[in-house]
Amino acid sequence: MGDNYQNKIMAPVMMDYEFKMKTQNERSKVEDLFDFEGCKVGRGTYGHVYKARRKDGSDTKDYALKQIEGTGLSMSACREIALLRELKHSNVINLIRVFLSHTDRKVWLLFDYAEHDLWHIIKFHRAAKASKKSVMVPKGMVKSLLYQILDGIHYLHSNWVLHRDLKPANILVMGEGPERGRVKIADMGFARLFNAPLKPLADLDPVVVTFWYRAPELLLGARHYTKAIDIWAIGCIFAELLTSEPIFHCRQEDIKTSNPYHHDQLDRIFNVMGFPQEKDWEDIRKMPEHATLVKDFKRSNYQNCSLSKYMDRHKIKPDSKAFSLLQRLLLMDPNRRITSEQAMQDPYFSEDPLPTQDVFAGCQIPYPKREFLTDDDQDDKSDSKARQNQQQQQQQQQPNTQQNQVQANSHDHAANNAKRMRMSGQNQGNNPQGGQQEFHQQQQMMFGGQQQGAGSQQQQNFQQRF
Amino acid sequence: MAGNFWQSSHHQQWMLDKQDLIRDRQHDLAKLTDEEYQKIFNFFASIIQVLGEQLKLRQQVIATATVYFKRFYARNSLKCIDPLLLAPTCVFLASKVEEFGVISNSRLITTCQTVIKNKFSYAFGQQEFPYRTNHILECEFYLLENLDCCLIVFQPYRPLLLFVQDIGQDDQLLTYAWRIVNDSLRTDVSLLYPPYQIAIAALHIACVMLGKENLKPWFAELNVDLDKIQEIVRAIINLYEMWKSYDEKKEIQALLAKMPKPCPAPQR
Ligand SMILES: Nc1ncnc2c1ncn2[C@@H]1O[C@H](COP(=O)(O)OP(=O)(O)OP(=O)(O)O)[C@@H](O)[C@H]1O
Ligand SMILES: [Mg+2]
Repeated sequence: MGDNYQNKIMAPVMMDYEFKMKTQNERSKVEDLFDFEGCKVGRGTYGHVYKARRKDGSDTKDYALKQIEGTGLSMSACREIALLRELKHSNVINLIRVFLSHTDRKVWLLFDYAEHDLWHIIKFHRAAKASKKSVMVPKGMVKSLLYQILDGIHYLHSNWVLHRDLKPANILVMGEGPERGRVKIADMGFARLFNAPLKPLADLDPVVVTFWYRAPELLLGARHYTKAIDIWAIGCIFAELLTSEPIFHCRQEDIKTSNPYHHDQLDRIFNVMGFPQEKDWEDIRKMPEHATLVKDFKRSNYQNCSLSKYMDRHKIKPDSKAFSLLQRLLLMDPNRRITSEQAMQDPYFSEDPLPTQDVFAGCQIPYPKREFLTDDDQDDKSDSKARQNQQQQQQQQQPNTQQNQVQANSHDHAANNAKRMRMSGQNQGNNPQGGQQEFHQQQQMMFGGQQQGAGSQQQQNFQQRF
Repeated sequence: MAGNFWQSSHHQQWMLDKQDLIRDRQHDLAKLTDEEYQKIFNFFASIIQVLGEQLKLRQQVIATATVYFKRFYARNSLKCIDPLLLAPTCVFLASKVEEFGVISNSRLITTCQTVIKNKFSYAFGQQEFPYRTNHILECEFYLLENLDCCLIVFQPYRPLLLFVQDIGQDDQLLTYAWRIVNDSLRTDVSLLYPPYQIAIAALHIACVMLGKENLKPWFAELNVDLDKIQEIVRAIINLYEMWKSYDEKKEIQALLAKMPKPCPAPQR
């Protein structure tokens, strides 16, 4: 090559100047298009989430902007973008656009804004219960929530995507607006395609699903994620919706361990479910941690435990349709656990009240809007302080949570320890609009087609607890 | 969606039209003949292949990286980003998307250095691999932008396996067809045709090579556009024809010298 010599002594020209300038000029910056300063509403392990409005006022919708933790394209950021770019379902959060900020190497994801999530909703009910207050919600709300969660997961599963991190905080619910009361499954950072796993999935991230929602086979060392693992988590969420308590609540000191075996969590599961009988889960003997299980646990300690007793204590009758579906979702043997498709066919969903597209069925939404978090309390992880804050700042909105014994897992703590601020009106600038190239148009899909029209009936049908 | 080709970004955004492809290459084809352009891509596809093999990546990952590379230059001139930088960047990005686990930055750079030095000295002479991690990372953002964040690429390997299963497991046929799919990455077919059609074309060529007359009825029963299959077959056969009379080791330096290159910022 003629210019060999030159190339050796000069830094190579990796990129054409004109190309660089052209792309730079065409690229829109997130801060030019959106107002979101001081509007942080969520903080997870993998990023910060802001409530945002378009500066140009071309619409007045709220958006969620997720700034991915760290810089550049981590593997989980790549995965989240890759999958969300392809996914399109009314119960899966819609990725509108990705912003790459070249100067600080930050990655931003733009989503529709969901005012609520099941973590906050359940917390609200739990707090109300603790202070003996009632919450007015439509009778079919839990059913509608569950139906839509199943619908979204069925879509993911039939497209060879496993969620792997289903928990209440990742189930969002849309507030007022055209998609009012619609479930949106979010947080796909862990999700991955499972049709062709190139490596045993358990090898990649040491600990994936929050322990409370972890299926027993994972706790016993199963090496591969399956659809059944997501279904277990949905069962846990269903139970939590019915009772306002995490069904497999367990103290967790060390969640960063890379060992999947977790004695206390298994103990909790057996305390609720009873110890599995050989005939109920034949392959349990093949689990990698089976020997440890045999060593650590005595069947006789769980003689009097069963899901029906547990749920009965929480006022869910063992002969109800809700209970029988719950039992099918929470089967210990992953091979027997039902699929999302089977679950959607369950008689529970054809019994009155029928599930509705708007889980609030047109009724007033009793839950507070998301509050803004401030930056200066990132490291504040103490539980007592969080409660103080909540008491001070949320008194009119939420009953206090003092008697609340239930602990959230660590990052949910962090998110809720933050000082709350009153919502401030968002200013709307008038910046000229750059070329908008967003992925999918907002869609208005009908709900499954079958379950409709129960809304009006339900408006009168309140129940006090859910 | 990820499991459904027809709803995927691959199908909806990245099935390109032959005429558009030719139009978008105008700038490069003013300096290079069609054949020279092909030869340059063939060369960089080899770099991606060897890099991937050295990094012990699966063929699926290597194929995805190659498609990223082709997609980028389908919309941009070769001069926009030095392909010697874009090639490893594609490998890096594909390995993250295809769940292979992250390749460490230093391992990627070291591998590039040894591969360029040991396997491609016939092209680069004494010149060392000139880029570092920061270049790859910067380039990665440009790549992702130009791909419009479409990272999931459907490959012909899976449909190929299914077709061979349907035919009745035939390892020799599979091996041949598999290699032909690998070779097809050096043509434009991955930009122009759905992966299942490429798989069928590869099977078709493999059958001809192996003299498997008995599969004619199987092909006849397929519900596919046979014209499309013929076009793919022709593109791959053309590649083999080109290889017959081409000695990359002798010609590549001149080709690389002729290739349009990035221009630096104007000097003041
Ligand atoms: N589209 C949205 N609209 C409103 N709030 C959202 C939205 N997406 C996320 N949030 C809020 O931000 C929090 C963190 O978001 P997300 O779960 O996507 O991030 P993460 O860091 O991956 O979380 P995790 O720690 O659960 O893995 C959510 O629990 C939720 O409260
Ligand atoms: Mg989350």
